[in-house]
Amino acid sequence: MNVIRLIILSFFIFTQSQADTIYNLIKIPNLDIYEINSSNKLRYLYAKQPFTIGVDNNINCYNPEKKVLNEKYKIIKKNLDKYDQKFLQKINLKYIVLCEDLSISKINTAGIPNNIMKTLILDVKFNENYFERVIHHEVFHIINDSYKELFDEKIWANFNIKEFKYAKCSTCTDKLGLDTYSNTNGFFTEYSQSTASEDMAEVFSHLMVGSNLKDIDPILQQKIQFIKTNLLKIDQSFIL
Amino acid sequence: MIKKIKASRSEKIIFIFIIILSVLSFGSFFLIKDKCLFVKDYNPKKIKFDNPKNIAILNVPCGNVIIELYPEISPNSVKRFKTLVEARAYDKIAFHRVIKNVLVQAGDLQFGKKGNLNYAKIGTGKSGLGTINSEIDAPFDFIRGSVGLARAQKYNTEDSQFFILLRDEPLYETEYTPIGKVIYGLEALEKIKFLDKSQYVLRPDFINSLTLLK
Repeated sequence: MNVIRLIILSFFIFTQSQADTIYNLIKIPNLDIYEINSSNKLRYLYAKQPFTIGVDNNINCYNPEKKVLNEKYKIIKKNLDKYDQKFLQKINLKYIVLCEDLSISKINTAGIPNNIMKTLILDVKFNENYFERVIHHEVFHIINDSYKELFDEKIWANFNIKEFKYAKCSTCTDKLGLDTYSNTNGFFTEYSQSTASEDMAEVFSHLMVGSNLKDIDPILQQKIQFIKTNLLKIDQSFIL
Repeated sequence: MIKKIKASRSEKIIFIFIIILSVLSFGSFFLIKDKCLFVKDYNPKKIKFDNPKNIAILNVPCGNVIIELYPEISPNSVKRFKTLVEARAYDKIAFHRVIKNVLVQAGDLQFGKKGNLNYAKIGTGKSGLGTINSEIDAPFDFIRGSVGLARAQKYNTEDSQFFILLRDEPLYETEYTPIGKVIYGLEALEKIKFLDKSQYVLRPDFINSLTLLK
């Protein structure tokens, strides 16, 4: 028991002192405020220096070029302004971290959501073609993580044809394409076929950016309905 | 026969210099040791308040800190705070978490009591009254002097611990529950003991008393 107390005490003694408030709030170092007066109370932060976080320091990101940051911030804000403060509170999203060359375990990624820390890290240099959609894709992961019980993956998987099986994880497959299919056949993109949660996020993001839904197949129609129904359970005023 | 030796002029100067130096050193030792020397101590009885029912007097080693409470902003949290203040629960409780020029935090009633400090658990103690919900929806500027309720990582875990800001912290809005603001005596809190390498203070300063004006 005394050993445990000593360990806890040593933690107190060696914790960071000259408190970086942002670090204390979201446990990401080297950040500064970019904009905190947004209408939906999202706090936009940016990396003023590279940072490394996560298990075994497996998440890395770099400080963005100022010009890129300023340009991409406008796009990001325009898209995130679609969510009101009440909804963001419900899904537990508050801090948007803007940085460049974001990677997890050396695999480049567009965003890393963390609903526990109320944080979404976004790579401002992610592929221009999918940039806006990816923002909403990552927001969905926050929604999903906050309301796991609503977005049941077994129910979702049953929408697909019986022969189809998702991969065990999104990086366990080479299905990474983000181009929207002209012939959907149950999926918006190749990446949709990686895992159920990525599939849901792809459906949600296509809805949020107002993709053309004219020639949607019946499977995808069911998926869209599933997403819409469950979002209304979170917030009755949420409009897609 | 012993010959009397007269001190030379330079020896006299050195002697006088040593005397002066000793007096200054001795004097400054006591002056520097008194960290409260230049801190003004406010007497609440000599101040007129618009709403005395919402005034709390926090007495710390360097004097009185006068806090105005905001029940209209955070009714349940101020009610909890007043309940504990009226029970004199905060008396002799440690400022266990102090970040120089940023904030002071106190109110661990379970593990922060003078004479019964538990360094291994301080900061995790409870009041016995249960947790209350966060009240973070109302707009509030967390500026220097603002008083808020501390909480665990999750919302709705506020209990008895509170913090007082020593600098503006705009990111605290909608993050922490505000309960009031220091209107006099913030300087006394700047003298609360802190450590350079840790937010958690060994041999901390204590609240002498925390009372309501009326």
